[in-house]
Amino acid sequence: MTHATMLSSMTLAMFFDPGGAAARMMSLHPVDYAIIVIYFVMVLAIGFYLKKYTQSGEDFFLAGREMTAWVAGLSFVSANLGTLELMGWAGNAYQYGIMAAHWYWVGAIPAMLFLGIVMMPFYYISKTHSVPGYLQMRYGRAASGLSAVSFAVMTILMSGVNMFAMALVMKVMLGWNLNFSIWVSSLTVGVYVALGGLFSAIFNEVVQFFLIWFGALLIPILGLTESGGWSGVVARIHQNFPNQDFTHMWRPMAHFADNPMGVQWVGIVFGLGAVLSMGYWTTDFLVVQRVISAKDVRAAKLAPVIGSFFKMAVPLIVILPGLLGLAVLPFHLVPASAMQPGQHSFDEVLPLMLARYCGPGLLGLGITALIAGFMSGMAGNVSAFATVWTYDIYRAFMRKDASDRHYVTMGRWCTMIGLLISIGAAYIVTHFGSIMDYVQALFSFFIAPLFGTVLIGMLWKRATGPGGFWGLLAGTVSSIGMFTMVELDPSKVSLVALSPLAKPLAVDMWRALWSGIICVVVTAVVSLMTKPKTDVQLVGLVYGATELPSEGHLPLVKRPIFWAGVSLSLFLVLQWIFW
Amino acid sequence: MDTKPQASREGGGGKGSGRQVAVDLMDRPEKPHMLPVWFFIGVILAIYGVLILATGIYEYSDVPPTVLANLHAPIWWGALLVVVGVVYIERSYPRKKP
Repeated sequence: MTHATMLSSMTLAMFFDPGGAAARMMSLHPVDYAIIVIYFVMVLAIGFYLKKYTQSGEDFFLAGREMTAWVAGLSFVSANLGTLELMGWAGNAYQYGIMAAHWYWVGAIPAMLFLGIVMMPFYYISKTHSVPGYLQMRYGRAASGLSAVSFAVMTILMSGVNMFAMALVMKVMLGWNLNFSIWVSSLTVGVYVALGGLFSAIFNEVVQFFLIWFGALLIPILGLTESGGWSGVVARIHQNFPNQDFTHMWRPMAHFADNPMGVQWVGIVFGLGAVLSMGYWTTDFLVVQRVISAKDVRAAKLAPVIGSFFKMAVPLIVILPGLLGLAVLPFHLVPASAMQPGQHSFDEVLPLMLARYCGPGLLGLGITALIAGFMSGMAGNVSAFATVWTYDIYRAFMRKDASDRHYVTMGRWCTMIGLLISIGAAYIVTHFGSIMDYVQALFSFFIAPLFGTVLIGMLWKRATGPGGFWGLLAGTVSSIGMFTMVELDPSKVSLVALSPLAKPLAVDMWRALWSGIICVVVTAVVSLMTKPKTDVQLVGLVYGATELPSEGHLPLVKRPIFWAGVSLSLFLVLQWIFW
Repeated sequence: MDTKPQASREGGGGKGSGRQVAVDLMDRPEKPHMLPVWFFIGVILAIYGVLILATGIYEYSDVPPTVLANLHAPIWWGALLVVVGVVYIERSYPRKKP
């Protein structure tokens, strides 16, 4: 969401072509098809292989809590590395320059480190199976139920939107039939997740992570070779686009009017870095589930830290191709809304660069990387949905005392049922394209307030159940209210984002900031008026009532805090280099 | 690695050299007797490497109309995939203890 939601309307606008007038961008050879088929065979084989290891509820929903820090960390990043995001942010890099990297660096790294070092011990020690499960223990059924229902509904709808987006991209790029893409990819994901549960989802996400990197890394390597290195890229961009600054991240951020994004540093630092990304990376169960599956607290803390290094490197295969497009493409890309026949839009830059450098074989690997990106996101959605539905809705409100085997069976069934609902949502979107934007916006309404609720619950013993519920509700309702207000009357944008010049990305950030603040204030006020829990009831859930395991006996290189420091230092150096 | 005493789930870790850290993180099976994920990664990378390398050799004298085709990227990229794949398979394939 932090990434995909913000850009997908732009990305899909380019691909959304109900009349099917767009010509395919590239053709595949037999070796390319062989590579794609082998990928599908492999992910299904992994699902069948892991079925025998997936017997209990903990196996199916939490991968047995046996994952190493590396596996959990790579899966954590991979679940977020969707193709819509890759293509959309490459397009944003072409449109806005290196500023787009803010969404990978300030918009992810501090939040991932915060999750690992501060929040993960509580998620792990509490033995929760999910984020709504933590809310259940900390605040009670009301806050947990609100969070679980909203997450389940939105996750499954988002899965449908992504499914439709994948089919559309494949249709435009390769001429594939929409129905074929939707059914083959979703049934494959459904089969391997239903067989092996989170084990299977995580294993495949790690495989997909490698394929995405090996499939996409050739573009920057060959692009830099063609341009004569980074200095050559900068020189060519200045030559092709004189008087425009595409190669600095913070310099044009003083005022809204100074940059084409219409954002300002306050919104980037506090809206994106402090609230929106924190909300996504620390409370969206889709990604947090991967880390909860770690084998011990140290692995759980280390996994997001390991993920942060790879997340920091993702601009190499996303932002750099966009910048290379500015440097080497012999024609200029245009906004999707202004595209004429024969022209290409910003968001086509990644497939254009792929086709520029990759012939038979390598093209198949690149296309497989895109398919893998879609499927890892889809698997993340359905495995998270299966857990939240089974544990936080079905077991919490419908059938409390069934056997473990019963819940595993329920998890397998709701994986397939969830996918069928997603396919239904995909077909609804096929006929009513404008629904997409609203579905994606809906998901963003819950993220920032949920972060406020979880964080205050972990750090403040005085927070109470009613405080948590009303804070979450107030934050969510206020977010919806601000969104509706701006939709109905765009002139009200200055009330939310403090400037009439703010663009949608900036409005999103400010809306997240306000809704997070409202959530925290309401939680605090209601908590102070209601009866608190005792310290005994808060053991394992709240800072100050929980004994955190010491790492003092470990050598420095085995301590998560050490690697978090290294990651943070690297992050700061990157800001300085591209200031 | 599985023969070592299990660290507590809460604390984790234990004393070890940098080499032990790498082995602990990369090789440990997720469950006893389960093939680690690194094995599957090795297999698919090796297969892809062979296919891409073979394609690169086949089209060596008749390169496709892509930019920088003269660098023969399929050959060295395919070879890299084969090497990485074989290393992962070799390191992660479960062996019986003597």
